[in-house]
This record gives sequence, C-alpha cells and structure tokens, in this order.
Amino acid sequence: MMGRLLTMLLAAGVPLAAHHSVPVNFDQSREVTISGVITEIRWINPHSRFRLDVKQQDGSVLEWLVEMGAANTMKRAGFPMERFAVGDPVTITGNPGRRDRVVLLRTAVLQDGTKLSP
Amino acid sequence: MRADGKDRSCRLLAGLSLLLACASPALAQRPDLSGNWMLNGGKTVFGAGDLTDEGRRRFEAYDFKTDDPALKCIGASWTRVWLNPNVLVEIAQAADHVRLRYEWMDLDRRIPLVDPTMADPPRGSIEGHPALGRYAAWYDGPALVIETVDVAPGYVSTMEKWAGLPQSRRMRTIERLTRSGDVLTIEITHVDPANYRKPLVVTITYPRSKFELMEYNCTPEDAAVVAPK
Repeated sequence: MMGRLLTMLLAAGVPLAAHHSVPVNFDQSREVTISGVITEIRWINPHSRFRLDVKQQDGSVLEWLVEMGAANTMKRAGFPMERFAVGDPVTITGNPGRRDRVVLLRTAVLQDGTKLSP
Repeated sequence: MRADGKDRSCRLLAGLSLLLACASPALAQRPDLSGNWMLNGGKTVFGAGDLTDEGRRRFEAYDFKTDDPALKCIGASWTRVWLNPNVLVEIAQAADHVRLRYEWMDLDRRIPLVDPTMADPPRGSIEGHPALGRYAAWYDGPALVIETVDVAPGYVSTMEKWAGLPQSRRMRTIERLTRSGDVLTIEITHVDPANYRKPLVVTITYPRSKFELMEYNCTPEDAAVVAPK
C-alpha cells in the first residue's frame, strides 16, 4: 500500500516546498505556543537552536528545544540574533516537532513585546 | 626578409587558429555555468521511480530520527545535496576540471573533465562522504554532464515525502547542468536496478544568487541535537 502510494506521488511530479526536512520533523498543520527562559543559544548550521526552561502548572520545569533555520540563512535574512540572550524570558510560537518538546520557531515574542520571525 | 618573416607569422597564426578550432570544439561550445547559485523558490520535480520490492522494503524501514546522514554532517546523495534550500553553490570552470563548492556541509567537489568513452576515467571524491561516490564530468553540447558511481548504500533523499528513498552500491547517477539566462537547471537521473524498476529522475532549478559562499562548519555533536535533554 505504502509502495503504491509512493509510486503515485512520484509519478505526480509534486513540486517541493521550500525547506528540506521540516515536514519530516515537524507537524506543519499545528501550532504551539510556549513561554520560558532561554538557557542556551546556538547560532549554527544546519539548524540554530535555543534551549528553553518552561515552568509547568505544578511548578516543575521542563526543557524544550526550539529549532530554527541555518545560521547562514538567518544572517543573510538579517535576523537580529543579538536580541536574544541566555536568561531572557521569551514566548515562542511554532510547529510542534514529531519528537516530544521540540518546536520549530515561527515567531518569538521578547520581553518588551517585540515580535521577531526568521 | 621582412616579407618572409610576415609570411611565417601569418602561417603560424593560421596554424594556431586551426589547431584551436580542431583540437577543442568542446571548449568552444562549453556552456558558461560559472557563478553563484542558490535554491530559493525554484521548482523541484520528482519523476516516477517505481520501487522494486527491495527498494520498497528499505524505503519503509527508513527512520528519520536515526537514519538521516545529515545528523552526522554527511551528504546522503547528490540529489540530497542539491535539494538543500538557501545555501549557496559556487561553480568555477577550468580547462581540465569543474569545481563545485557547496555551502551545505562545506562540500568541495573538484570534478575531472574526461573523455566519456574512457573505460575507467579519473574520478574525484570527497573524503568522509562515501555515499557521494566517485565522479567525472564532460560537456555535451549545452550541458555539463557529471557521472557518479561507487556510492555507499544509503538514501537518495531524506526530505519531505521522499525521505528514505534508497540507493544501493550499484547506483549510477547522471547530473545534467544547463543554464538559461539566470536559471541553472539540474536534472539528476538515478539508475539503480536494485531499488528502482526504472530510473528515478529529479529536476531542480537554481536562480543565480547575489550572495557569497559562507562557511558551514557543521559538527556532528551539534547536528545530532534534535531533542531536549
């Protein structure tokens, strides 16, 4: 069944979307929003990332991984990386990962209300 | 004496012109592919591949959480390399080789230009990327043709709905690069009877880019981080 489906998809010559592994790693049909404190920032290739400590309703803290695009791409796009610092509170909205507690950043809201999208 | 010298010079120039015209017709017809290109909004089409039973088994066994070579900063196939968006490819053409520098994973591909009728032509390869095989190139009219053989088993694609399409050691890959104005078209044909009943053809278009090549500096330690602690 899967093989027949693949053959049909292949034969259809479907255009490829913009990014490589996003549909494989993230559910683009859904969005989640989390708020927390940045504990790590890595502007790297192939994917930049934050680690975020997110406080739960019972007071415990769970770490989330926030993935972004390649550092090179974000530099070329002029994304203001310098606006983020470890220890800052931030609210992230994005597509949930197919692994637990992972999100692909679509919008970040800084403490002063500034909204940033890569 | 002056007339003799002039005559000799004329004969020499005529001889050189004839030599150039006869000895390097391919040189005269070489397409100009040099410059910087980037996949950014271009159209990509996967053709029909028609998996064999073994190909289907391998495709369905692919696990994106563990099997993607990019998690170790390794290129899976030339289709996978070309399909990475928003990274630059710099092409430089020389008399005896073509150099393609891919920003993705800092791949530096120096391809010897060969006579395609040679039984065992010299080939280039990139250390640490066995799935990218050994390659040689030649010009065919308006196209640069790159042939790759001796690939390590792995995956033609790790992206989108094609993630897990397999490749075997028997796979032969032909890339045809042509240019129309400011658009570079890469048609990639994978011939792999172990996994596909007919060739898998992928066509990708790259617009010219104003950007310059940047270092990628992928490290397996960072690339493998895909989940929280």
